[in-house]
Amino acid sequence: MTKYFLLFPILFFLLGGLFFYQNQKFNDGKLHLIVCDVGQGDGILIRTPRGSDILIDAGPDDSILDCLQNHMPFWDREIEVVILTHPHADHLTGLISVLKRYKVMHYFTENVKNNTLVYRKLQDVLAKNNLTANYSFAGNRIDFADKISLLTVWPEREWFENQKLQDSQNSITDSSSLDVNGFSVITLLSYGNFKALLTGDGGVLAEEQIVNAVGKIDVLKVPHHGSRTGMSSLFLESTRPDLAIISVGAKNRYGHPSNIVLDLLEKYNVKILRTDRNGEVEVVSNGKSFKVFAN
Amino acid sequence: MSKPLTLFILILTVVLVLRLFIFYSTKSQYKDGESISFNSRVLSEPKTYRSYQSFWLELPNTDRVFVKTEIYPEYYFQDKVYLSGSLHFKLLSDKTRILSMDYPKISFVKTSFPQEAGLAVVKPIRQKIITVFDKALPKDLSGLMLGIVFGIKQNLSKDFLDDLKTAGVMHVIAASGMNVTITAGFIFYLFSSFFKRQLAVFLSILGVLFYAFLAGFEASIIRASIMGIIAFSSQILGKQQYSFYALFLTGFLMLFAAPKYLFDIGFQLSFSATLGILYIPLLFKRWQSVYLDSFLTTISAQIATLPILLANFGTYSLWSIVCNTLVLWTVPFLMILGGIAALASFILLPIASFLLYLCLPLLLFFVEIVSFFAKLKGNIVFQAFPWQFSLAYYLLLASFLLFYLRRND
Repeated sequence: MTKYFLLFPILFFLLGGLFFYQNQKFNDGKLHLIVCDVGQGDGILIRTPRGSDILIDAGPDDSILDCLQNHMPFWDREIEVVILTHPHADHLTGLISVLKRYKVMHYFTENVKNNTLVYRKLQDVLAKNNLTANYSFAGNRIDFADKISLLTVWPEREWFENQKLQDSQNSITDSSSLDVNGFSVITLLSYGNFKALLTGDGGVLAEEQIVNAVGKIDVLKVPHHGSRTGMSSLFLESTRPDLAIISVGAKNRYGHPSNIVLDLLEKYNVKILRTDRNGEVEVVSNGKSFKVFAN
Repeated sequence: MSKPLTLFILILTVVLVLRLFIFYSTKSQYKDGESISFNSRVLSEPKTYRSYQSFWLELPNTDRVFVKTEIYPEYYFQDKVYLSGSLHFKLLSDKTRILSMDYPKISFVKTSFPQEAGLAVVKPIRQKIITVFDKALPKDLSGLMLGIVFGIKQNLSKDFLDDLKTAGVMHVIAASGMNVTITAGFIFYLFSSFFKRQLAVFLSILGVLFYAFLAGFEASIIRASIMGIIAFSSQILGKQQYSFYALFLTGFLMLFAAPKYLFDIGFQLSFSATLGILYIPLLFKRWQSVYLDSFLTTISAQIATLPILLANFGTYSLWSIVCNTLVLWTVPFLMILGGIAALASFILLPIASFLLYLCLPLLLFFVEIVSFFAKLKGNIVFQAFPWQFSLAYYLLLASFLLFYLRRND
């Protein structure tokens, strides 16, 4: 009779080992910033030293789930903060799959709506999970107990409302013609001396406005998949990143990243890593220095 | 065996052969080049080649047709489709003549995803279970688990599906009834060593019905359940011989009522697996030990179904036999743990999660082995599987068994 239960001690042992191993691996007391390889789109996971999870955009499909399961222990099904930089499909579609499998505690986004099918689907899933959107504006700050902070540096509330007003005066009612990218939420992640700027699809206009608030950074998520509208030398001059990560799909039809951007980064001696060539890029920091893991 | 019984079986066999003969010889004759359109069902797991995929389809009048079509969209075993095109005769290398259709117009009627099949009552229950599985396990592993327990493929990634195909274990997640047969055999053996006979049979029947329910009462799964319940319960209640008669009678009735099951892989699989689980463990009596015992049901089922699996599920190589032997024993454990977890998800969620965590080591093992063998591929791949091999295989197997049984009588 007991012979059939021989499997249980074995399974208990193995499961115990798995808990031990993953706890060692994922709760190492360091900050992990992972730019996931989601193809043409953005999906960034931040795991704080004490194991809180922050997701900034979720890519164009459910490949973000692979990234989450590779960087979170299997028992951790909570994502403390989700920030959707702007409501475009290549940033939000994966979020629908994420919400089906993970419990999201707080949801932040820009105050712009979209009329696409996938956006409406996301609204449904958010409602089903009892999540309401918190609108991010420059100056908003989320502090975690483990000295991690997320500072929203864009969009500025005043500028944003002016812009919306102008748009309505120009009778742009259809949000698809509105420059959703320009409003894209830009977040500064800091941990001790380590700083990373996560730019979504932000454009030059925004970047030049925020340089003072940002200062010198270590890691830059290159705006808008390396599109040529995304960066200026003024911006690089004042932020001086050591590493630039471009989240981009191989052979995408937009021609991202543009040579202008690549040349500019080279001019400022910034090391470039691209998800289409290097796969997912992981930056690990102890608050003083950082290490990079990529192919 | 008593004389009247032998005679009875003989008569039934003759009747069945006659029935099948008449059925298959009076089927309507198709003409070469005839264009037809019809509703059908995919009879075999499609094989994918560089530029096309091919599979067997049910023809309206008892026959089956070999279809070649574009690689996309992908079809799966038991998908329901509507197609139109022209029918041709083809002569295979071994001189058998088959019906074939090249690149017909195909549209989906219903995919094999049992989510859309079965009773309406089952749907929300299954949806709830899927959510619980997805929230407890990593993506690929919950997909695999759902595939094994319910035959649901939609939650598996394309890469992993390809791995399953290449490694030759696709049948594990096909709703063919084979899993139900293996698990039924396992449950019956398990319970009969725990409880009194009658109670064991009663509980086992409940268990098997529960799986049939979870799998959405697909026809193939109901057939497998009936077959398993009749054969295994008569084994527990009576002598070895009784279960053979019971199985024979069940098979007879099913085939007599619907002769087309003769070429139904689900039917072939569950019939031979049941027979295998009943008799093949006898061969291993000598090596029976505490450790081997629980694997015996799966190994027996595997031995009994090998040629059918080889012929019908993807690209089979010699490696895939090794791969199957390594992973198949986990199936009844996963099904039982998964089944209890499914029940628990309506009662106490943490218990469901814990049971699913317990499956993790087994699932990780399964995935690792499968992706290892998928990379190896096989250097010996059976393209068109020769029926002569199957015949020889079963004759040899039967001779071993008969010899062994005679000696032990």
